[in-house]
Amino acid sequence: MKKKEKKNLQQKETWYKLDLSANVYPTLQRKNFSSVYRLSVLLKEKINPKLLQEAVDMTLPRFPTFKVAIHKGLFWRYLAPNNRPGPYVQKDVANFCMPMNFKLNNRYLIRLYYYERRFSFECHHSLADGSGGMFVLQTITANYLRLLGHKIPNGGFVLDINEKSKKEETEDAYLRYATSKMRPPRTQEKAYRVRGTVEPFYTLNVIGGIMSTSEIHKKAKWYGASITEYLNAVLLYALIQKQKADRPIKERPVKLAMPVNLRRFFPSQTLRNFITMIYPTIDPRLGDYKFEEILTQVHFYMRYYLNDKFLNADITTNAATRRNPVIRIVPLFIKDFTVKQFYSRVQDKQSSAGLTNMGAITVPPGMEKYIERFDIYMGQPYSARTNCAIVSFGDTLTVNFASSIVESDVEQYFFRKLVEDGIHVKIETNRSHC
Amino acid sequence: MSYCVNCGVQLDRTARRCPLCNTPILNPKETVDTTSPTPYPKEKGQVDQVKHTDLAILLFSVLGSTSAACGLINFFVVDKSSWSLYIIGVCFMLWVFFIPAVLSTKLPIYVFLLLDGIAVAVYCFLISLNTPSRVWFLELAVPITATITLLVIIFAFLIRNVHASILSGAIYLFTEIGILTVSLECFIRSFLHMEFAMTWSAIVLICCVCIDIVLITIITRSRLREAVRRRMHI
Repeated sequence: MKKKEKKNLQQKETWYKLDLSANVYPTLQRKNFSSVYRLSVLLKEKINPKLLQEAVDMTLPRFPTFKVAIHKGLFWRYLAPNNRPGPYVQKDVANFCMPMNFKLNNRYLIRLYYYERRFSFECHHSLADGSGGMFVLQTITANYLRLLGHKIPNGGFVLDINEKSKKEETEDAYLRYATSKMRPPRTQEKAYRVRGTVEPFYTLNVIGGIMSTSEIHKKAKWYGASITEYLNAVLLYALIQKQKADRPIKERPVKLAMPVNLRRFFPSQTLRNFITMIYPTIDPRLGDYKFEEILTQVHFYMRYYLNDKFLNADITTNAATRRNPVIRIVPLFIKDFTVKQFYSRVQDKQSSAGLTNMGAITVPPGMEKYIERFDIYMGQPYSARTNCAIVSFGDTLTVNFASSIVESDVEQYFFRKLVEDGIHVKIETNRSHC
Repeated sequence: MSYCVNCGVQLDRTARRCPLCNTPILNPKETVDTTSPTPYPKEKGQVDQVKHTDLAILLFSVLGSTSAACGLINFFVVDKSSWSLYIIGVCFMLWVFFIPAVLSTKLPIYVFLLLDGIAVAVYCFLISLNTPSRVWFLELAVPITATITLLVIIFAFLIRNVHASILSGAIYLFTEIGILTVSLECFIRSFLHMEFAMTWSAIVLICCVCIDIVLITIITRSRLREAVRRRMHI
C-alpha cells in the first residue's frame, strides 16, 4: 500500500517544461516589467468574493499547468506543481497587470481580482496564452454562477472540473506541428516607435472603447473586410497619423505585432501558449496612404500569410533554436542574456504597437444572460508604447489600450477614426485625472 | 449621457474629462455622477518587494560567528597579536556593503555609499591598531578614503541626475581619475613632509584632460558623434 501511495504521489508531482514561446517571457522579467495579461468578465450582478474564492478553489485543480511555480534549472526554466495556499481573490487595483515576482504571491503566476461586477484573471504569459487563460476564466465564472444557484452546463471554454486534465491540454503543441522544411528569417526592418513621456513606476494607463459588434461588422463589410482587418487598418492609420504629427527626420514603416491563435490552423487542445506573431505593415515612405488603401493592404496581407504553410514555417524557425543540441547545452544565464539582448535590440523594435483580437467569445447556453461583456488587456508593454486588445461578446465589442506613457494620441486617432466612420463608441478609463 | 465635443465619443457618467483629449465635461443637463462606482477602481496597488530576511539572517550569522570565533581564538588561544581585528574588520565591512542588497530600505544610494566609505575607514583604523604608529591612518588612510568616497558619491549623483550616456559617463570618470591622482600625490607628499609639487600626477591629469576634451568635442558635435557611432557599432 505504502509503495502504491508513494507511486501515486510521484505521479502527481509532474513537472512541465516551458513551451516554446513561454521560454522568452521569464527572460524579459525586470523589476518593473512582467509579461502579464488580464482577462475580465463583467457580470450583471455584484461579485460575492467569498463564493468567488470557493469557485477558484474548486476550479484550479482541474488546470494543473496554472497551479504551478516557475523554477530555474541549469539549462532551462521549468514549471513545478505549487501546493502552497492560494491563489487568493483580492480587491482590484487601478494599476493592474503589476510586475509579478516569481518568488512572491506564494510563487503563483496567476492573480485573481474582483471589483463591483467585474472578475479579472491575470496570468503570466509563461503559463498560457489568452485562449488558455479564457478556459480558466470561464470555468471559474461558470462555477461561481453554479454556486449562486444557476444551472450552467459544461462546454466550449467551460471544462468539467470533475474530469482529470488531459495530456493534450498540457502539451507543447509547437513541437508537434513545427515540421516545415523552410525557415523564414527572424529579423525584419526597424519600425516606427511611439515616443512618449514614461509614467512613474508603476502606472498602467488603460483606455477602453465599448461599441456594437454589429455596427463594426457592418462597417467592415462595407469596406469588404473582416472586423480584425478593419480594426487593424484603423490602428495602422492612427499610428501613421501619430508619426506624421511627430514630424520625424526619417520616417519608418508602421508595423503591428499581432499574435495569431494557432489552434485555428492546427488542431490542438493545449491550454498553454500556442500563438505566433504576424506583422501587418504600412510603409509611409512609399507615399501617403488613404484609409481604404491601408485596409486593402492589411486585407491581402492577412489572406496571404494566415494559412498553415506560412505559420508552420514561422514556428519551425522558433523551434529550431529549441531543438539545436548546441543551444540546449548552453547554461541558462547565457541563454537569458542572449535572448534579452535579441528581444530588446531587434524583436521589440520590429513593431510600433501590439494588437490582439480574441474574436467572438462564446459561452455555454444559459450562461450568457449573466454576463454583460468580456474585456482583455495585453498588460504593460515592454517599451514605451501602447498595446491594443480586442474581444467581442454578443453585440458588445471592446477595444482596450494599455500603455505606460502619459500621452494618449494613438488612442485618440484610433477612436476618432471609428467615430468618423459612424460607429458609436463609449470610452472608459482608469486614468486618475479623468 | 455626455459626449466629448472634440472626439465625439460617449463618456462614462463618472468621468470629469475626456480620457482621449482631456477636454473637461460641461453638461448642464447631466452633471458628473459622483455616487456610482467608476469603471475601474481608484485605489492603486503596491508592487510587493522581495524580502531577503532569510539571506540577511544567514549573512549576519555567518559574518557574526566568524568574527566571534576569531575574536575568541585570538584572546584565549593565540594571543600574541590582535590579528582577529583584521577578520572582524572584513566581516564588518562586508556586512555594511551587503546592507542595500539585503534590506530593501528607502534610503538614498548616497547614504549607502557614505556608509561604505566609513566602513573602509573603520577597517583601516582596526589595521592601524596593530601597527606601531597611527600617523599613516590619520594622514593617508582617512583623507584618501574620504576623497574616494566623495568622488564616488559625486559620480553617482552625476550619472543619476545630470546626464547618463556612455560618453558623459566617461567624461565624469576621467575627470575624477585626474582629481584623484592629484589628491593622492598631495596626501603622499604631505605624509612624507615634502613640498607640494605635481610630478607623476601631472602626467595622469594631462592625459585625463586630453581625453575629456576629445569626449566633449564628440558629444557637442553631432556629426562627429554619429561618425563615431557608425564606426564603433557592435
